[in-house]
Amino acid sequence: MASRAVAREAVFALRREIARIEGTLPQRLEGQAGEAEAAQQGARLRLGIDGFDALLGGGLMRAALTEIHGCETRDAGAVAGFTLALVARLLREVPEPGLVLWAGTVEVFREAGLPHAAGQHALFGLAPERLVLAQVPRLADALWVAEEAIPLQRLAAVVVEARGNPEKLDLTATRRLHRRAQAAGRPVLLLRQAAQPEATAAPVRLVVAPAASGQRSTLAGPLDGSIGRPAFTVSVDKCPAALPGLFTLEWNSDECLFTERAKSQNRAADPVAVVSLSGCRAGPAPAAGQVVAFRRQGAPAAGAEHTPEQHDAGRGPRRAG
Amino acid sequence: MLSIHQNNTTQVAALDARAEALGLKRGMGLAEARAMHPSIAVAEADRQGERRLLEGLADWCDRYTPLVALDGEDGLFLDVTGCTSLFGGEKAMLNGMLARFFEQGFEVRAGLASTAGAAWAAARFFGRLVAAPGQEREVLAPLPPQALRLESPLCTGLDSVGLRSVADIMTAPRAPLARRFGRTLLMRLDQALGRIDEAVSPRLPVASLSVERQLAEPVVLTEDVERLAQMLAEALRRDLERRGEGARRLGLSLFRVDGAVSRIAVSTSLPLRDPGKIHNLFREKLAAIADDFDAGYGFDLVRLAAFATAPFDMRQTDLAGEASTAQDDLALFADRVRARLGAGAMMRPVPVESHLPERAVALRPFTGEARPPASGRGRPLVPAARVVPSHMPARPIRLFGQPEPVEVPATEMPEGPPLRFRWRRAVHKVVRAEGPERIASEWWHGAADTPTRDYYRVEDSEGRRYWLFRQGLHEAGQPSPHWFLHGLFA
Repeated sequence: MASRAVAREAVFALRREIARIEGTLPQRLEGQAGEAEAAQQGARLRLGIDGFDALLGGGLMRAALTEIHGCETRDAGAVAGFTLALVARLLREVPEPGLVLWAGTVEVFREAGLPHAAGQHALFGLAPERLVLAQVPRLADALWVAEEAIPLQRLAAVVVEARGNPEKLDLTATRRLHRRAQAAGRPVLLLRQAAQPEATAAPVRLVVAPAASGQRSTLAGPLDGSIGRPAFTVSVDKCPAALPGLFTLEWNSDECLFTERAKSQNRAADPVAVVSLSGCRAGPAPAAGQVVAFRRQGAPAAGAEHTPEQHDAGRGPRRAG
Repeated sequence: MLSIHQNNTTQVAALDARAEALGLKRGMGLAEARAMHPSIAVAEADRQGERRLLEGLADWCDRYTPLVALDGEDGLFLDVTGCTSLFGGEKAMLNGMLARFFEQGFEVRAGLASTAGAAWAAARFFGRLVAAPGQEREVLAPLPPQALRLESPLCTGLDSVGLRSVADIMTAPRAPLARRFGRTLLMRLDQALGRIDEAVSPRLPVASLSVERQLAEPVVLTEDVERLAQMLAEALRRDLERRGEGARRLGLSLFRVDGAVSRIAVSTSLPLRDPGKIHNLFREKLAAIADDFDAGYGFDLVRLAAFATAPFDMRQTDLAGEASTAQDDLALFADRVRARLGAGAMMRPVPVESHLPERAVALRPFTGEARPPASGRGRPLVPAARVVPSHMPARPIRLFGQPEPVEVPATEMPEGPPLRFRWRRAVHKVVRAEGPERIASEWWHGAADTPTRDYYRVEDSEGRRYWLFRQGLHEAGQPSPHWFLHGLFA
């Protein structure tokens, strides 16, 4: 037993050495998908997207804290949807699925809406009796509830929801969650609405944004103007392999799996030309300074750099420098 | 001296010994009293304050017996049956109680007898008297009829026919008395003499089991209180084991040295008798009320009582000595969360037969996992990919407790979804929309006459999906409809 451990340690040391020579991280080496991977096969939750899973080193770690960020509070639907999709895949894989504890503060649930069992059941197959909501007054209470809940055997996953960048959710608090998740072998998903990425103990941080949904498929082909399968833009902000990645995933609720949408299929959110094509004349002389976004058509090229409509949600003229 | 406004006159409600010495009496008019002695100091009586004080005293008296009842505005009944031996006999108990009251600054009269009526009379007319069983007749005989707890008009009536003492009433023939003065008189007489039983209804529910510990030195620290709770729980376990039960609702009463009593109650989802678990529950509760927890000069009596119990199903422990199952752990966890954060902290959604979205899912307190139903009627617990039929209209995954108002420009077309809307001060441009789904109010639920709602699923230019509804219709003579945002889709 001890000799085996020593041998494994030697292999790992060699792998680190090779990675150092190749100038990369040990996690990125090809050989990683070897016996260590096989040992960890059950420890990873595969999303079913090869590129995504490979980036995360075989899938999302089960026994770990995973951060799922949303840039704005109004993205809460997408963040919750992606989380529930992960939970749905998780519940499908375990032979005897347990409950899901969703802990959040009153403030989060007021600002982002309370998880609605009817919709979650329809789209993610999460039956109402599987969901337990912990609605507590303060973030410290939510963290306490989560920490106490993680060791419980009947829970399949623990979801903690917070908003913004509160001081309570620092490296210490996240490390406590992460250690307990590791000890219990249970995924803990930390949902953070309207939060800036900061240093936490979570090994993986995903930033979820909404993406234009697919179209409803009918016998006569996709139905124009309909709202079909939900889609998310998921960017891997932090992972052990330290490789960034951006994926647009569509959730197929019938099959309970993600499908990746090819880049070409990504429809423009607003499919009109941003700038009208110029006519037979040459364009006006370029103004000084770097143009970040094109100004609205017909507006004069120079002058009025810092007008009040500049703040109009990025729609107005914007100029840097 | 205290005054009270009663029956359209201001009367003397209470007076101290010095005022009594001046010849003033309770019930005399204040104007009369002032005419006799212009220099008396009069204050308005505070009935509610007196009531609170009396309840505080009743709380304090809990240390002698759990059966404490309020008697009118100025008395307490203590049913000390079986308790006296704990305090050194009846006489010693009464003396000790009066001494402690005196130390607290109260002048108290007390009587102890086998019946409530006799004890009442002994307290009011003798001050400090212990009547032996069977002695009620001798105690009551020389007293006026008021000693039988009778209304004053009835006493006046008795006085007018010459029945001036209880002895007179006892010797008078019963039938004419009942005919003339009603049944109350004889009932009170019989109650005082113990011929019929009288139930003293206690102010607080009486615990079926309780254990307590008198402390020579008052404890102040919360940790000590927790440790005491565990020690008491160990004592309680023996009683629970003898009865084959577990506690469902537990109360910890902390009697402070200065007379205040704090009560801490916890309830459990499963019958409980393990001292460690009970200790945990009280630790959470004490942590939750840490700010309001005022130990003052310390607690000198701690009592743990089981107010509700339920049969405890014994389970065989396995070889590792582990008897608790995962479901028990979950129930215990829910109890601890509830003890610390209140009953509303752990909820489970329950589908309700209602098509109003805010009523379709009710939140009920979570008390551990429901056992799978034995019959085949229950919903399968294994999650299918889609259990809800696909022809059902889609529901959002997050729902706002209150639909949030959104601004839709007035120039929009009257029917159909909006082209753009403003929610939380940001303008959202609608790219795609589905709907409407019309949901009318539930007219069978009484007079709630809310306007019809037309729900739309819309997607904005950045891919966010919202659930909007228009309340009301564009009709002549009706107020123009308003738009609300009710939920978010994945």
